[in-house]
Amino acid sequence: MTDWGLVLIPAMCLVGLTGSVLLAVPPLNLRLPVRRAGWLLSLFPAGSSVLILSRLPSLSAVSPQSFKLDWIPSLGLTAGLYFDHLSALFGLLITGIGTLVVIYAGYYFDQSASSRSTISPWREWRFLAFLFLFMAAMVTVVMAGDVLTLFISWELTSVASFLLIGYRQQDQAARQGAFKSLLITGAGGVALLLGLLVLSSVTGSGEFAHILTAGDLVRSSPLYLLALALVALGAFTKSAQFPFHIWLPDAMGAPTPASAYLHSATMVKAGIFLLARLNPVLGFTDEWFWLLTAVGGITMLTGASAGFRQNDLKALLAYSTISQLGVLIMLIGQDTEIAFKALVISILAHALYKSALFMLVGIVDHATGTRDLRRLGGLVRTMPIAFLATGVAAMSMAGLPPLFGFLAKETLLATATHPNVPPLANVVLPATTVIAGALILAQAGVVVWDSFLGRPRDQSLHPHRPPAFMCLVATVPAVLSLTIGLLPEPEPIASFLANAAAAVYGSKVKVSLALWNGITVPLLLSAVAVCSGMVLFVLRHPLRERLSRTDPRWSANTLYRWSVGLIDGSAFVATRLQGGKLRTYMATVILGMLALVFGFGDLAQWHWETPLTLPTLDTTGEIVVLRIFALLVVVTGAAATIGLPRDFWAVVALGSSGMAVAILMVLEPAPDVALVQLVADILTVVILVLALARLPRSQRQRANDLMFLQSRASLVRDSLIAVAAGAVVALVTLVGLTSRPRTSAVTPYYEDTAKVLAGTKDIVGAILVDYRALDTLIEIAVFGLAGLGVYTLLRHASVKAGDHNESDATDRQSIAGAQDVFGIAGAETSSFVHALAYVSLPLAMVIGLVHIMYGHDQPGDGFTAGVIISLAIGFWYVVFGFRQVRRQLTWLRSAPLIATGLLLAIASGTAAACHTGSFLGHVDWGEVIGISLPRGFALSTSFLFEVAICLTVLGSASYILDTLGRPGATEHESAGK
Amino acid sequence: MELLTAVAVGALFGVAIFQLLRRNVVRSAIGLILLGNAVNLFLLSTGAYDGRAAAYAGELAQRSDALPQALVLTAIVISMGGLALAMAMLYIVSARYRTSDLDEITGLRY
Repeated sequence: MTDWGLVLIPAMCLVGLTGSVLLAVPPLNLRLPVRRAGWLLSLFPAGSSVLILSRLPSLSAVSPQSFKLDWIPSLGLTAGLYFDHLSALFGLLITGIGTLVVIYAGYYFDQSASSRSTISPWREWRFLAFLFLFMAAMVTVVMAGDVLTLFISWELTSVASFLLIGYRQQDQAARQGAFKSLLITGAGGVALLLGLLVLSSVTGSGEFAHILTAGDLVRSSPLYLLALALVALGAFTKSAQFPFHIWLPDAMGAPTPASAYLHSATMVKAGIFLLARLNPVLGFTDEWFWLLTAVGGITMLTGASAGFRQNDLKALLAYSTISQLGVLIMLIGQDTEIAFKALVISILAHALYKSALFMLVGIVDHATGTRDLRRLGGLVRTMPIAFLATGVAAMSMAGLPPLFGFLAKETLLATATHPNVPPLANVVLPATTVIAGALILAQAGVVVWDSFLGRPRDQSLHPHRPPAFMCLVATVPAVLSLTIGLLPEPEPIASFLANAAAAVYGSKVKVSLALWNGITVPLLLSAVAVCSGMVLFVLRHPLRERLSRTDPRWSANTLYRWSVGLIDGSAFVATRLQGGKLRTYMATVILGMLALVFGFGDLAQWHWETPLTLPTLDTTGEIVVLRIFALLVVVTGAAATIGLPRDFWAVVALGSSGMAVAILMVLEPAPDVALVQLVADILTVVILVLALARLPRSQRQRANDLMFLQSRASLVRDSLIAVAAGAVVALVTLVGLTSRPRTSAVTPYYEDTAKVLAGTKDIVGAILVDYRALDTLIEIAVFGLAGLGVYTLLRHASVKAGDHNESDATDRQSIAGAQDVFGIAGAETSSFVHALAYVSLPLAMVIGLVHIMYGHDQPGDGFTAGVIISLAIGFWYVVFGFRQVRRQLTWLRSAPLIATGLLLAIASGTAAACHTGSFLGHVDWGEVIGISLPRGFALSTSFLFEVAICLTVLGSASYILDTLGRPGATEHESAGK
Repeated sequence: MELLTAVAVGALFGVAIFQLLRRNVVRSAIGLILLGNAVNLFLLSTGAYDGRAAAYAGELAQRSDALPQALVLTAIVISMGGLALAMAMLYIVSARYRTSDLDEITGLRY
């Protein structure tokens, strides 16, 4: 079932992204203060929430809603969404808290803006845009219908998090924190990708709808452990599990709205979501239990104890988040019904109270200018609402009745004493849970007491009253956790959570939100935790003092520094290897290629016993003689380029070798190719000669002398590489030639259908302008870009570097002046040659036109036409010189030619698409309109495309000729010699 | 005959590689073009048929394989564009370093 409505949910967040970028436009961001922008933009996540809520009544507990779009069907790649109660739970958290955070961010930045000039435009749209980017990505993560969608959106959340942490670019700590988080979560992302690939190869599908039903298959597969390890690595890095937790405290360099949103409520839960989602596939094994319980348990204790010694409020909350994430991971590892009940409650509870606490800390920070617990105190007088909200949220964090957080801990303790777990765990689990619970409770006390109550410790702080709405926004999640805790058994919520838990567990789970279950073991344990937490709170000053003296080297950060050091070390080695010598690189590439051919070329498959025939003068004697002649010229011409001491003669030898290549192509027989080779060879020589004229002769001479002064060793080395490469190519060519004739899978189809489908007899032409027309379109675009590239490099890059002082002004002057300079490098040319040039250009145009019009049934096409006309123009450059050409050929404007060519190709392709349904498909427009044309000429798509090719090639070639033919400073230097 | 052709293509390729490894930028550019020619000839040799006639519909004799020809045709034009771009770059680099000797151009590092 494909449900397009599902796409709307992440799409709403993307609209928010567009909206925040739009608000950056100057008149808008002056009129609309950032605080109002926050309210306005919050409509989008709110809309997303409403969409999710509206789907809930129709969402069945057993069959999820899904959306699927075939992306590359032949590879089985799809992009899809999958929406069940688990997705809905996370989706509601993301969009709901997102709504509040966007409003809050408006006030947060409004305050920082008020310290600036009030009418200056605000620049925080960047922050909002990143926030919405994250929101869209995160919603997609929790609704992902296949591994590909999941991975891409997963990585996008990492990127958005990186951008948000490093939002204050001028702050070095923020930059380092951003880098650290990207490094750790990015590495985890790679592991996740591998894990997901393993999963989909085991199950045979990338879609969750299929994977989730294949649990038994995966668990019995030999690749199970690999998949588990990789997926867990991805989840642990994202959800800040020990020892990867170190990025989360450093991520607190982000502006507080981002911390409240990404780094407490949503993004860090992505790992939890992933493990929960995959629990039906990977879970219910001993490995799963021990891995998750151990890692989660260590994280829970590490976070709780490290948090207790923090003085920065945000750092304290960050560590308590780590601890809570450890708890969630542990819960997933239990694989018992009650654990999943606890899981969904804890996810909801934690997201609510932790985002509230972060927002409140942001308010405190703004009002006082500090988050340091050693300076705060007595804030209750200036911000009573914030105090109440903090108190409620902190009680939830501590797990005191009657709040939601209490329910979470209650069920957690119930899990810890559950009979299903192994005996050892039955003792260790409750113990760690009680210790961590006590520590967290003490921290919750510290947050409320030391910042709001008592006397202000630092008299220099003058807190101002925060905006009422800002406090109100932060109060909403705190109050939510209170009301849900107080209402007895709110039926719709209980059944919703039960369904979400069932999605993780795989079968029906009964969720009870009742506060009072009678006197049970969990209740007693809870009491123990509360009492010891109280004791810790009372003793907090000496304890925290003592803890903060622990050696900072004993942390996972050391591990991180080692890893980063390792990367730096390998970078050092790599830069030694990358010596910066182009020739070394080329030699390496060539040797690598040889190794590939030998290693994977299947050369052993060849029939070595095939008799090799030496040429004999038989009936086709003339052809053989011609072929031998061409081969000789090819090789001697090429060899001469080495031996000839002057560059110009080497280029001429190169040209002759290329001509002989054209002869060989004629003998193939491949007339179309031979024709293009012929004209391209000549144009190549022209380009080279023009380029030679730009390089100072003295410089070239010096480089040429080196050729013979070079050390013998390097000559021998290069010769060896060349001989080896030549031998390999000779071998593969021989294999190709002696294994003829073979069967071809593709060619017969082209041969049979060329006339019918493409309307051409020329099969090569049919492939170029019809079967693979899109390739050709891209190819001429590339050729056009090459021309543009030459122009940009020589006209802009060199000018900027100050290599020579050409500018357009002096340029025009020099064109208008200097009447008498003819020919390249100022050399005189005879008037006979001038006459030839005058004749050749129109002639070339006629030849080109004929090629385009009748090329479909005989050799020749748009390429040939374009190159032939360019050749005539090149001739002009050589004969008349740059200035004369510019004066006379005013119609020759490269950029418009390229643009016209490409636009014509696209337009004719689109017109053909409207007519046949296939882009650049074959349409004979003459026939369609009903005009009679000369015999053999058809006004078809192919014809229009050939014209487009010709124009683009002509434009690009004239760009090249024009820029290379332009007299530069260097030419004057060489002209003097 | 196949042997001769193969050896010639191999020789062309070898010369191209040798030229590509020269210190003189102009000779490297020549090597680039020779390399293109050698590769194009090699590509043509991968054609499946021993052609007696050009690849045109309606020819009665055994046609040559049109597929590699189409590849080579585009390759020729593209390599011409590539050459122009390479020449422009070599010019820029040699103007900036005031040398045409590749070994004196060391700024590629990092």
